[in-house]
Amino acid sequence: MAERLRRHPELQAWLVLALPTLFLLVFFMAPLVIVFVYSFLERGKYGGVEWVFTLDNIRRVFDPLYFKTFLRSFYIAIVTTIVTLILGYPLAYFIAKSPPSRRNALVFALMIPFWTNFLIRTYAWLTLLRTHTGLINVTLMNWGIISHPLPLYGNDFAIILGLVYGWLPVMVLPIYAALERLDESLLEAARDLYASSYKAFRKVTWPLSIPGVVAGSMLVFIPSLGAFVTPAILGGGKTLMIGNIISNQFLGAHDWPFGSALSMVMMIAMLIATLIYFRWTKKSELMS
Amino acid sequence: MTETYAVELRDVVKKFGDVTAVNHVSLQIRDGEFFSLLGPSGCGKTTTLRMIAGFEMPTSGEIYIQGERQGYRPPNKRPVNTVFQNYALFPHMTVEENIAFGMEMQKVPKDEIKRRVDEALAMVRLSGMAKRKPKQLSGGQQQRIALARALVNRPKVLLLDEPLGALDLKLRKAMQIELKALQEEVGITFIYVTHDQEEALTMSDRIAVMNNGIVHQVGGPEDIYEHPADRFVADFIGETNFIPVKVVSLSPEIVVELGTGQKVKAGWAEEGLTVGDKAVLSIRPEKMDLLEPQEVPQTPSEAIAYVPGTVTHLVYVGTDTRHTVALGDGTEVVVRLQNIYVGEEPWEIGETAVVTWNAAHARILKE
Repeated sequence: MAERLRRHPELQAWLVLALPTLFLLVFFMAPLVIVFVYSFLERGKYGGVEWVFTLDNIRRVFDPLYFKTFLRSFYIAIVTTIVTLILGYPLAYFIAKSPPSRRNALVFALMIPFWTNFLIRTYAWLTLLRTHTGLINVTLMNWGIISHPLPLYGNDFAIILGLVYGWLPVMVLPIYAALERLDESLLEAARDLYASSYKAFRKVTWPLSIPGVVAGSMLVFIPSLGAFVTPAILGGGKTLMIGNIISNQFLGAHDWPFGSALSMVMMIAMLIATLIYFRWTKKSELMS
Repeated sequence: MTETYAVELRDVVKKFGDVTAVNHVSLQIRDGEFFSLLGPSGCGKTTTLRMIAGFEMPTSGEIYIQGERQGYRPPNKRPVNTVFQNYALFPHMTVEENIAFGMEMQKVPKDEIKRRVDEALAMVRLSGMAKRKPKQLSGGQQQRIALARALVNRPKVLLLDEPLGALDLKLRKAMQIELKALQEEVGITFIYVTHDQEEALTMSDRIAVMNNGIVHQVGGPEDIYEHPADRFVADFIGETNFIPVKVVSLSPEIVVELGTGQKVKAGWAEEGLTVGDKAVLSIRPEKMDLLEPQEVPQTPSEAIAYVPGTVTHLVYVGTDTRHTVALGDGTEVVVRLQNIYVGEEPWEIGETAVVTWNAAHARILKE
């Protein structure tokens, strides 16, 4: 056996890959297929499915009632991604430009919030943002700066704030990795070749950090689009995202096929958005 | 009116925290000159170059380019261009875009950019490579693109930071000749940083030898080799013997006493030495000869030194043989003799030999 392995290195590769492949097939591909199949079936009375083919679930997804939530989710995820990028890029830049001895400490500091449960951190935002009892509004009103509570809670603003807070480190890390790899002498070369510091950033730093920006944006956009904890807590029960509707179909309404259809459509929409985004960044990379 | 230099450094100091990288350096680099900054790593040569480019600002002192004081002027406002040690070609741009970069920043008209890029590519003989990315080129080709990218802007001064350091020996030798020819062709002042003394000697009109942030000597290659100003230069450039001596007299003639008590003359003594000082006599191995004891003339010339010793070591290196000879007090000197003697008995280990040299070649340097 050992001899045979040595003679056929490709067998070794298969042996190493066998376990992760099996894992992915059973726990990743199979559920995906189930979701796909379920979205074309009729609902069972108490959850589950009836094995009858139908397109009704898919049709219902595009019902304005749900489709509006779809669009809203996209809007929230896009704004979240843009805001984390605007906040995250300078942060990543700062860390990458710090002395090497300090960089690891800064990255470490960035990761510290992850040690606390996401749910707890989101509830912490609740105590800050709540309309009448939230710390921010209470303080501002006590100080007489405002006379009516600000609408900080139960709206898109609160959800976006919560998502930005949650996903900021995920945006920073890949951008940091790209910037940290950037050879300082390339910037010097640009400056030497008559580029102002802005032009050097625009022509060298930015295009070379785009892979990090793309990775970070994907890592923020995808979970933001499917978010359900943040909107459930900070949306105040009024402002929902598609993730909440999906979870409701499975846990509350016992409509598995419709939940599956929503998931399928969301996945496809995400895929399309990702492809458009990749194409766009590729183009802007070429242009600069 | 004083002469306008291509680049002039006046008493420039650069400190990084507590470390003084460049220590009161003054240099005058003439128009059209191939000027090298030579020294071991960490000697301050690269920092000096980076200050001329504008990447670092002097802690004190002034830098003038074409007679203009640079002050805190940023790199993009200086009429110099740099060829970086690792080339620093923009990986996301083609060769063509790399070369055009400087002209685009200066808003040169498009058709002129096109023409000059083509010229620059022809100059470095890489015309077919315009559309390639730097990664697709060999080290030597990248090197030439880096050169083209800098020269295409027609700088007053080209700064080169060990540009050949990453190339293999053979390519490096070829590039040395090519670079020197190119410099003569374009007539631009080159300031060239290197730690390779042979490279500096081969290419330069003048060389500044640096160590620990200090310029030890500025001069032509021959001057620096033949007339090293101090022990560091003598040691760093080429091979040399340091024979410990004591200064006996400095004028009218320079006389020193060897460890054996024998007195010999020397052609030059470093400033600041006084009679009675301990010093070293510096002499190049190829400036010396070996004689059989009976070959020493009865009435030896005052200008020639004859010091008896014993051959202790022989190394044959092709063109010549390195003879290590222990003098009476145990000091070992290396004598290089060319292998041109026909029929003569070679020296053997243990033989008594008289080391001889012309006093004019001996330089007395501080320890």
